[in-house]
Amino acid sequence: MGNFLNVAPTTLLVIGVLMLTALAYVTARRRAMTAAGGDARKLHSLPGYYGYNAAMLTAIPAFFVLVIWLLVQPMLIQNAVIEMIPQDAISDGSSVNLVMSDVRRVANGLTTAVDAGALSADAARDISVTDTDVRGLLADNGVALGSDVNADVLAAAQRYRSMQTTGQWLMIAVIAAVALGGAFVALRATTVDFRARNMVERFVLGLLMIAASLAILTTVGIVFSMLFESINFFKLHPWQDFFLGDTWAPNFRGDSDLSILPLLWGTLYISIIALFVAVPIGLFAAIYLSEYANNKVRALAKPLLEILAGIPTIVYGLFALLTVGPFLVDLFGRGEDGILGVDWMSGATSVLTAGLVMGIMLIPFVSSLSDDIINAVPQSMRDGSFGLGATHSETIRQVVLPAALPGIVGAILLAASRAIGETMIVVLGAGAIARISPNPLEAMTTITTRIVSQLTGDTDFASPETLVAFALGLTLFVLTLGLNVLALYIVRKYREQYE
Amino acid sequence: MKDNVISETDVTTDKIKIAARDVQVYYGDNHAIKDVSVDIQDKTVTAFIGPSGCGKSTFLRCINRMNDTIDICRVQGDILIDGEDIYDSKVDPVQLRAKVGMVFQKPNPFPKSIYDNVAYGPRIHGLARNKAELDDIVERALKRGAIWNEVKDRLHAPGTGLSGGQQQRLCIARAVATEPEVLLMDEPCSALDPIATAQVEELIDELRQSYAVVIVTHSMQQAARVSQKTAFFHLGHLVEYGETDKIFTAPEDPRTESYITGRIG
Repeated sequence: MGNFLNVAPTTLLVIGVLMLTALAYVTARRRAMTAAGGDARKLHSLPGYYGYNAAMLTAIPAFFVLVIWLLVQPMLIQNAVIEMIPQDAISDGSSVNLVMSDVRRVANGLTTAVDAGALSADAARDISVTDTDVRGLLADNGVALGSDVNADVLAAAQRYRSMQTTGQWLMIAVIAAVALGGAFVALRATTVDFRARNMVERFVLGLLMIAASLAILTTVGIVFSMLFESINFFKLHPWQDFFLGDTWAPNFRGDSDLSILPLLWGTLYISIIALFVAVPIGLFAAIYLSEYANNKVRALAKPLLEILAGIPTIVYGLFALLTVGPFLVDLFGRGEDGILGVDWMSGATSVLTAGLVMGIMLIPFVSSLSDDIINAVPQSMRDGSFGLGATHSETIRQVVLPAALPGIVGAILLAASRAIGETMIVVLGAGAIARISPNPLEAMTTITTRIVSQLTGDTDFASPETLVAFALGLTLFVLTLGLNVLALYIVRKYREQYE
Repeated sequence: MKDNVISETDVTTDKIKIAARDVQVYYGDNHAIKDVSVDIQDKTVTAFIGPSGCGKSTFLRCINRMNDTIDICRVQGDILIDGEDIYDSKVDPVQLRAKVGMVFQKPNPFPKSIYDNVAYGPRIHGLARNKAELDDIVERALKRGAIWNEVKDRLHAPGTGLSGGQQQRLCIARAVATEPEVLLMDEPCSALDPIATAQVEELIDELRQSYAVVIVTHSMQQAARVSQKTAFFHLGHLVEYGETDKIFTAPEDPRTESYITGRIG
């Protein structure tokens, strides 16, 4: 609501630029046709390209400037206004930012009051705290303030408003000029020989490059944000304890043992169990589907398997907690009442529970990747093997799988990196006790679950107990990145050899 | 066009190796081979020629029952090898294929070493009692495939690293390693350059000493160069079958004449 007036002129401006863009398209197209004497064959490019070129030159620079302007203007105004607030107006326990948000609220409140007709535009500019109850006035118009408005804040708010208005008009003028200028340049360039088609091509190239670099820059950004927070953590906590210690015992009064090893153990243990479930089942399913199943079975079974991939992981987590866990307790626990009559397992959450369910989650991942890879093995290989009198399974074991092996190893490593990064199943299925133990029936915990628990609830981003989440996250990232790089390396190395 | 010397000196036997009677092949509803009857002699190169889609490859693949691997394919009629019906229910197609080797259009070495490629068949069929015997089989097959000298120093390099012509000769060596009696070749030179083609053709001529060789080819010159018997297929029919000389110089059927003079194809 506060930005309502701010948005309205911007929206109008956007609509205006878009209209101008459409106009530029039509005009440039017509101009190109006129220049060619009505015969499109005389033009270098199809007439539409001249139109697109003009539209591009009108819209892109204008929108570019608009985005930059919208980002920069509030910063400039804030810097100008902040100087008006004396140091002593900032009360104890408060900060410049809090005062600035007060200023913004008052400024927006004044604007609301003017809109509602409770205040004239001139009055809004001239009122002062000495002769008006600004707080009451604003409260009448639905803007509630925490305290009485002090003179400096009011003056700053008034300055803020006036600068904003000026900025807005300036912005409209500049952008209109940029758009018109672009249209004008494009229209002047529209001649019979102008290579509009090539210009449009270059624009498409630029668009694709921006998309690609955005993806990469985001990754870099994520890594750096993790890195800086991790550095903060290591300033507060010794790295020896983090990497080499054997106890995970966060304590929000300080003096915690924050060591990754018990968590890493849990993570790897669960992942390995998951892979023991997922790799054979997924691989065999893939072999059946791609080599033996007829078209009807494949048409039915493949989508069904892929439904597994579409189940949200939290649902798998519930399955682990409510179905698999209690079943395992029946099997391995309860002493005389249990199925096996042993008492090895007490709670439903355990490494085995989480590992089994995570394995089920990974089955479609392994099977659909392996299926694609097996299908990519050329039929001529199978024919060659059949032609030598090999049976179907001999062919699969000795020709198809070795040919597909690098891809399958890649698929398994990708599955492993998913298992290591998986969160919801282990939050619900694995338990919360950090320990290093070889017993798969005990509850353990993983890196991801500890990140969740360190960052939920009230957190103070200056304590090592919170910052450790970033160091954990970074370690996890390095681990999965390493696995992915290894997977790609293996796939590439063997592909060179065999294709 | 015809290499007279070879064909007239070496054809010594008239023994019939493969006898096909009224063979029909259907791909779903498509009747691909119609009433084909042919006698193929042992120790002879028989060429199947004809325009694309005439059924010559399909018929070739009937001889080692490779068509069994295609779901929609049905074969009727009798094909006998040494008087034994290969479509009899007692015959295991897998065993049959060890006896009837096949070389394909595109060289298809397995992603294994040269040695393992050749040893593949003998290992599956348990032809070697020990490593030394297997080494022996591999060496003999590679020599017979006329590629031994080129690969003897790198038997454990991947077979896929060879050139196209070498790969095809490796595949021929792989096929002869299981000691087949019949060698089927489906356009074995179509992916090779002229030099590699010449080498493979020379090899085919040598293989005739030991096997009945059946070769499908699009090149009439090749058929004339390497074969003693030629069968001309057209639209699923076997139009004419006889001495290669005669087919190319005095064909009886007007369709054969049109094809070899280039008017249909």
